Amino acid sequence: MRISRRRIRRSGYTHSSPDQVLYKQLQDNLTRIKTDFGQSDDLVVNCFEWTANPSLSYACIYIDTLVDKDTVNHLSEELMKLKRSPEQETDNLFILMRRQFSSIRDLKTGVKFIDLYAELLSGNTVFLADGNTEYLSIPTENKDSRAIEEPSSQTVIRGPKEGFSERINTNILLVRKRIRSHHVKLENLTVGNLTRTAVSLMYIENIAKDTIVREIRRRIKEIETASILEGSYIEELIKDDKYSIFPEFLSTEKPDTVTAALLEGKVAIFVDGSPYALTAPAVFVEFLHSSEDFYHNFIVSSMVRLLRFIALFLTLLTPSAYIAITTFHQEIIPTPLLISIAAQREGVPFPTLIEAFLMETTFEVLREAGVRMPRAIGSAISIVGALVLGQAAVEAGIISAVMVIIVSMTAIYSFTVPNYEMSNAVRIIRFIFMVLAGVLGLYGVFMGLIILTLHLCKLKSIGIPYLMPLAPWIKNENKDSLLRFPLWSLKYRPFGIRGEDKRKTAQTSMKKGG
Amino acid sequence: MVNKIKLMFFFCLISVLCSACWSSHEIDTLGISIAAGIDLTESGYAVYHQVLNPRAITGNVETVGTPVYLFTQYGDNLFSATRKIALETPRRIYNAHLRMIILGEDMARNGIKDAIDFFMRNYEFRTDFYFAVARNKTAREVLEILTPLEFTPGLNMFESLKLAQERNGLTKEVNIVELAQIILAEGYEPVLPGIDISSGTADSDSAMTTLSGGKRLFYNGLGVFCDDKLIGWLSEEETLGFNYILGNAKNSPEYVYYNETDQITFELIRLHSKISAALKDEKPSINVKISIEAIIAAMEGDLDISKMENKIIAEQLLESKIKGICQNTVKKAQHDFRCDIFGFGEVIHRKYPDLWKKLKSNWRHEFSSLPVDFEIAVELKLPGQIIKPMFRKEK
Repeated sequence: MRISRRRIRRSGYTHSSPDQVLYKQLQDNLTRIKTDFGQSDDLVVNCFEWTANPSLSYACIYIDTLVDKDTVNHLSEELMKLKRSPEQETDNLFILMRRQFSSIRDLKTGVKFIDLYAELLSGNTVFLADGNTEYLSIPTENKDSRAIEEPSSQTVIRGPKEGFSERINTNILLVRKRIRSHHVKLENLTVGNLTRTAVSLMYIENIAKDTIVREIRRRIKEIETASILEGSYIEELIKDDKYSIFPEFLSTEKPDTVTAALLEGKVAIFVDGSPYALTAPAVFVEFLHSSEDFYHNFIVSSMVRLLRFIALFLTLLTPSAYIAITTFHQEIIPTPLLISIAAQREGVPFPTLIEAFLMETTFEVLREAGVRMPRAIGSAISIVGALVLGQAAVEAGIISAVMVIIVSMTAIYSFTVPNYEMSNAVRIIRFIFMVLAGVLGLYGVFMGLIILTLHLCKLKSIGIPYLMPLAPWIKNENKDSLLRFPLWSLKYRPFGIRGEDKRKTAQTSMKKGG
Repeated sequence: MVNKIKLMFFFCLISVLCSACWSSHEIDTLGISIAAGIDLTESGYAVYHQVLNPRAITGNVETVGTPVYLFTQYGDNLFSATRKIALETPRRIYNAHLRMIILGEDMARNGIKDAIDFFMRNYEFRTDFYFAVARNKTAREVLEILTPLEFTPGLNMFESLKLAQERNGLTKEVNIVELAQIILAEGYEPVLPGIDISSGTADSDSAMTTLSGGKRLFYNGLGVFCDDKLIGWLSEEETLGFNYILGNAKNSPEYVYYNETDQITFELIRLHSKISAALKDEKPSINVKISIEAIIAAMEGDLDISKMENKIIAEQLLESKIKGICQNTVKKAQHDFRCDIFGFGEVIHRKYPDLWKKLKSNWRHEFSSLPVDFEIAVELKLPGQIIKPMFRKEK
């Protein structure tokens, strides 16, 4: 397994004295906190000072925008009751508070400022008592978030329609409830010096290979960066081939896809704030699989999968093959087809390569525009694109009708690729192939294909060859690669990725675990 | 190290980009030659190229001019004449889609070896086009005719030749490889289909006859070549006989008379022929076995074909008819042309190589007295969609 050792840009945002512990005096602590947070108006510090009995002074600190107000109010009321209780075994307020709230889940104590800040920034309320060098943190986080909705980028006809949302706990829940087993392990990590983003690793013990889990964990821990805003940050920072255009982590919005990946021995990575989960290792063929393949009849799914592979090739090669054949190898076009292509090329002022570039670029622009613009004017773009640019260009004789057909075929084929990252990669490579075709003809296209194949052979995802199970050819694995064999014939989990528990059919790990 | 790799990559890129679309030609700069013709004139060869006019062919573009234009240039050799066409058109003559080569009769009588060498040698020609000889005409006359339905005359000739051999056996497709092989082979002489022009109808104003004044191209018989020179023509029936002997006429119609007046028409559905050589008293002889499967296409009279004895009568009638045709054809080749267009010499060569050495120097003479016998086996497969004669009165 290749170990990536890369230096990730160091951020300057470390706290001045990360290990500074709380002071004894309440006021000292509050001053320090206020200085560190500076001008943040949403930092609320409620200080209850008792001049008569200073040891009963305490402070309640929270960040207004992060907390659930009702919970905080409720806590304050509880504290008031605490004051009034007549007989006290001890007058140490801190111990009393701890006892009072002991039933609350996730009650935390700590001594360092840095931990205290982490608590505050997670939306928890922190209590400080005078004379104590410990804080008490009570979860009051505001749990507002988007409801569970249907994924927008990976829609299915049959199968679960839940999609991940931006809250990491919800996402984990969606996967957890699909595998009710204590073998599912979850590890929480924090990445990003400034954003302190919660990142979770999930895998199934015994089914996932130890070395892979360890490697992913190590790589994530080695990340040194200020911010993680999305799973793609993680992918870009830890992927094996950092210059490759191909995705090496499968990103998905669908919990059932993640579940299936976990059951094959893969590791899922959740990032707080992102409705996508990553699974790794991911091989090339997976990017053309859809979770739906397993919800339909295996014959249908096999055909559809084949169709996707063909479409991937066509979307990659159609424009370049057209350019190569019509400018270099007219002899291989059947005569009637040549005549009709020639008739349409009559009077077109541009060479085929330029024509293809114009149209493909126009399509890419339309596509990008379609993604960026407000949804309400979506139909306007399609009218402009289809009518104005397509039909008018052909009628004006600037673009040949065949080219419009080629570009639309390319576009439609590209939408059959279920994974957006993969379809993006193919989009870009298509342009390289077009240049090769325009310069060297089919010779260039095939040189490009050879180089592309070599590149794909070289890629690895967490040490697993990217083209597995095609290259290296593993006969049994191919039951679930280009085709989808029936479930009863898929007896083993993927070779190289699976851990000790190889068989899909019988749960051998249950014997050990109970 | 990294820099070296980068430098190498850079040079690879440069070498790719500097090649600058070598040998690339946009389709709209090509004059796609769909048929070519060669005539012999006083000033050497006349070479014609029938070049597609793509604007006139597809329906959606405004029609300008005729579907094809004919370019003519003269020269001492075919290649330079072809290249001279650039004098009159900016489009590069592109020969890879050539479908037909029409040889003028004069040219054919004078020998076609040089032409074949050119078409075999030049890299731009494919080998899937057919040859035809303009019968009693010049190639130019043939190539000037516009054709209906398939507006590209070259394609029209190409497709119609293929179809005719299959549907009626009255002509034969010959491509350049076959032609060259037959010319090279000992004891085998080539034939080429003849192409002719039907005279246009008088009232050329009628809407039906607007193209070329109603003149149409049609295939007419086979031209018999000796070595590479045209020496004569086979008639329609002899062409059929030729195709029966060589097993080419797989679906042709055939009819016989029964009771002097009543015709029975057959459609052949399968035909296999096998030519074999034998020795009789040190003399070679040829045996041609033709096995035919036929169905009844039409019947006159009241022969009840559902009866076994009548079926056998019909089969025998067809057998003797075909035998007669074949014998006449062989006779014509033996006595009129003295030219072995069936490749009998080749069969003898293969079976008796030693004997062939003695025969080959005088093969034309030997051929004319070669005994050829026929065994024809006809099997009637189906009486058609009805069985009994349609209008027979039941007694």
